[in-house]
Amino acid sequence: MSVKLVSEVGVGTIAAGVAKAHADVVLISGYDGGTGSSPQTSITHAGLPWELGLAETHQTLVLNNLRSRIAVETDGQLKTGRDVIMAALLGAEEFGFATAPLVASGCIMMRVCHLNTCPVGVASQDPRLRARFAGKPEHIVNFMTFVATEVRELMAQLGFRTVEEMVGRTDRLEAQRAVTHWKAKGLDFSKILYSPDVGPEVGRFCSIKQDHGLDKSLDLTTLLGLAQPAIDRGEKVIAELPIKNVNRVVGTITSYEITKKLGAKGLPEDTIRFRFKGSAGQSFGAFVTRGMTLSIEGDANDYFGKGLSGGKLIVHPPANAGFKAEDNIIIGNVALYGATAGEIYVNGRAGERFAVRNSGVTAVVEGVGDHGCEYMTGGRVVVLGPTGRNFAAGMSGGIAYVLDQTGKFAEQANVSMVGLEKVESKAEIAELRAIIEHHVGYTGSARGKQVLAAFETFVPQFVKVFPKDYKRMLGCIEKAESQGLTGEEAIMAAFEENARDLSRVGGN
Amino acid sequence: MGKPTGFIEYLRELPLDRSPLERTKDWKEFHVHMEDKKLRNQGARCMNCGVPFCHTGKLVSGMASGCPINNLIPEWNDLVYRGLWKEALDRLHKTNNFPEFTGRVCPAPCEGSCVLGINNPAVTIKNIEAAITDRGWEEGWVFADQPKVRTGKKVAVIGSGPAGLSCAEQLNKAGHTVTVFERADRPGGLLMYGIPNMKLDKKEVVLRRIKLMEDSGIKFICNATVGDNVEPQIFLKEYDATVFCTGATQPRDLPIEGRNLKGVHFAMELLTANTKAVLNGGAEHCPIHAKDKDVIVIGGGDTGTDCVGTSMRHGCKSIVQIEILPKPPLERTADNPWPEWPKTYKMDYGQEEAAAKFGADPRVYLTTVKKFNGDLAGNLQSIVTVEIKWEKNEKGQFIPKEQAGTEKVRPAQLVLLAMGFLGPEQALIKEIGLETDTRSNIKAEHENYTTSIKGVFAAGDCRRGQSLVVWAINEGRGAARECDRYLMGSTDLP
Ligand SMILES: Cc1cc2nc3c(=O)[nH]c(=O)nc-3n(C[C@H](O)[C@H](O)[C@H](O)COP(=O)(O)OP(=O)(O)OC[C@H]3O[C@@H](n4cnc5c(N)ncnc54)[C@H](O)[C@@H]3O)c2cc1C
Ligand code: SF4
Repeated sequence: MSVKLVSEVGVGTIAAGVAKAHADVVLISGYDGGTGSSPQTSITHAGLPWELGLAETHQTLVLNNLRSRIAVETDGQLKTGRDVIMAALLGAEEFGFATAPLVASGCIMMRVCHLNTCPVGVASQDPRLRARFAGKPEHIVNFMTFVATEVRELMAQLGFRTVEEMVGRTDRLEAQRAVTHWKAKGLDFSKILYSPDVGPEVGRFCSIKQDHGLDKSLDLTTLLGLAQPAIDRGEKVIAELPIKNVNRVVGTITSYEITKKLGAKGLPEDTIRFRFKGSAGQSFGAFVTRGMTLSIEGDANDYFGKGLSGGKLIVHPPANAGFKAEDNIIIGNVALYGATAGEIYVNGRAGERFAVRNSGVTAVVEGVGDHGCEYMTGGRVVVLGPTGRNFAAGMSGGIAYVLDQTGKFAEQANVSMVGLEKVESKAEIAELRAIIEHHVGYTGSARGKQVLAAFETFVPQFVKVFPKDYKRMLGCIEKAESQGLTGEEAIMAAFEENARDLSRVGGN
Repeated sequence: MGKPTGFIEYLRELPLDRSPLERTKDWKEFHVHMEDKKLRNQGARCMNCGVPFCHTGKLVSGMASGCPINNLIPEWNDLVYRGLWKEALDRLHKTNNFPEFTGRVCPAPCEGSCVLGINNPAVTIKNIEAAITDRGWEEGWVFADQPKVRTGKKVAVIGSGPAGLSCAEQLNKAGHTVTVFERADRPGGLLMYGIPNMKLDKKEVVLRRIKLMEDSGIKFICNATVGDNVEPQIFLKEYDATVFCTGATQPRDLPIEGRNLKGVHFAMELLTANTKAVLNGGAEHCPIHAKDKDVIVIGGGDTGTDCVGTSMRHGCKSIVQIEILPKPPLERTADNPWPEWPKTYKMDYGQEEAAAKFGADPRVYLTTVKKFNGDLAGNLQSIVTVEIKWEKNEKGQFIPKEQAGTEKVRPAQLVLLAMGFLGPEQALIKEIGLETDTRSNIKAEHENYTTSIKGVFAAGDCRRGQSLVVWAINEGRGAARECDRYLMGSTDLP
């Protein structure tokens, strides 16, 4: 497990937390990195040199005797063996290279990675452009060999035999005094070159493996055993279990075993059904695959359904709860982050950043906080209640239906990439109704029942949030299909047509 | 910016020149215009690169890579694509005083460094440049501009080639009162009497610009040879500053047996005399004439090409162009990668015309001349050539070695020596005591242009040695900037 941190003042404290939270690697990322598609302003005006963050991170980890448990990596325009040596002496034992090997393999820094027009075919889906790619793995091997050779030479000069020996040896660094630039006059490097005064018992590089405590997880202690008949023989499994908020990432290891055995297709729907009672910890149902249905009578923390990969998640309050579900938040922030497939039904509201980067999940929820559906690229989201501000920012695909009873939704939505429309076609109304019926069926939602009871009168109050590019793509696909193309071909034809359209707002 | 997919959709396309057999019947320009829509598509091929090279103008392995005057190429390509011609012209004039010259005669190092050139034919930068400026002249967007304020400072510019002209124009813009001294009867330097009319029209293009400069307040004095009929000392007395732009006019000679025979000339003797004759009534009055003669041009460069084109128009009987170097490869070699200047085989206009008439490229490679043969009256009759091989000597330098037994006698009644130039004429430099560098050029640093005498600057071929029009413009502009700084203490000139 690697955690990437931006080099800045105070990053050492964060890194200490990351080490305590059992990360295997912490990556300190410097300011002069950035891909070709990142905006010039971010590349040149954000962040700080990796040297600052790296020195601070290493010192803090050593002072708290955490350094021996975690590897420290750094990146941000490393290009030479000398860069590697400097990074090692400041406290890193792993080194990230991106731009330089990319250039070695043919990248010419056109900064059009996001436009599908890379003229040397590095970052493009266009077969004509990909044919121009002239890079070979050998080019990168060659480049890295040069770097390694220089590292070896410098290590020999410094008298080091291994990288580990070098880590944090700031005593071998000296600030160049001969720099005559007037700006260099007031620079004091002593804080960067400081070496904590600790005894030999404190490790200065990664030498102990982190204990992730996986064996204590709910999956390994209980769920996997219960699910075994389903994984081995496809038998149906049903179980009811208590859950507490110390149970994090519930269902993920079980799901991993299913995928390992059966691949992405998983198991038939509802093969494994776990019903939990209580308060679920973070990342409940993360990456859960097809065939698993997890429900909670209670509530859940942040990252609910993160990376959901085909499974079904259900949450509703206990029958005897003393509050109205539709007025209260029952799952935390950032639910469904990066989810790709599956269904979730939430009888209650979600926190902020609901369904960010969702690319395929169908979700019903009874209200969301700020930034809902941000950067969403696919799937269906039905919101049966109010939303926070900045809804649908950067949303380029999928559709959201928001029940807007107060008529204020338009003020909350970020319409730079989406249009707000009415739900009109018969098929679409029927589809929406079916989704809500499922919601009521799984959760018994009072709100859902109320909507279904007078569905015809509610339909005009639904706002359809429809990304402009997505809409045009669907139009193009329909056109391509009417011309006799099918499946992948139709999609590619539509993609090509859309890519050339000047009115397109996103980069897709 | 630009059209993101333009380079995938459109192929490189240039307007077809007038056909070789037709154009050799006259002295008019061989270049023709391209229609608007096609030009815009060519502009759309520009990729607006994240890291462009076309405008960088750096020396890579000793050759120019990218535009030496830093033309804002991606910007005006985009403007052309969008059909905003006037805006494109404004951008072009920001860096280039005379795009109508470079658009016609520049060898376009910009295109050699065009990023698209890595795996596709480069953008047609030069042709777009020519189209923008020609359009500007047609539409009346280029006009004389008198400076609003005069500084009262007087500057003399000696020589009116592209360096002198751009220097004069910049200094005039800054408000100084500029006088240009030119020893020829018409201003323009090599633009006038070097590059022939079919490549750059004298009346319609060069003199059109000079007229505009005169209307902007610059004074031209022709037939004024400094050091001869103009006393050099007057500059130091009467002018606040002087800029030398006298060019590298000393041709390299070939002192072998028979050099003094009648019929052996320097290329510039023919080119100057011919342009003069064309302007004064007709090429048939040119005192050196190739009609019905076997012509041999010695030297495979641009000057040689101009001699070929001129001889073809005179109606020569046969033509051979001798080059000591090997024939360049068709594609870049591994030691000449992008963005270096591509050292590849190119067929220029002169060779194309000879090939159309006589059936083959007139160039013979890896060959040099041993002696000139004449008759009793001292007239050239033939030359003896020999093939050579380049071999490494003990110091590792490549030197030419004659191949015994490959001597060949070639009939010739006219020989033109086009083997390059050695530097500026020394007499005037010596007379006023300017220091020179090891190659006999006037000593002054690039980007600085100050000579060993205070208030005297040098720019163009007389400072850097034989070069290109675009470098001359670069130097003229730079010298104007430094001169302005010298006169005023600070400068706003680019
Ligand atoms: C035949 C030929 C063809 C060429 N073709 C091309 C081409 O296609 N493209 C390209 O980019 N470059 C070309 N070049 C090179 C280019 O012309 C020169 O690099 C450029 O003109 C140099 O400009 P300049 O102002 O420094 O000098 P010049 O153009 O040589 O001008 C110097 C001027 O100073 C005057 N002068 C000298 N001494 C005195 C004095 N004592 N008193 C008064 N006046 C004096 C001369 O009469 C002359 O007019 C060519 C060169 C030649 C010879
Ligand atoms: S002046 Fe020459 S190098 Fe510069 S843009 Fe024009 S053609 Fe290219």
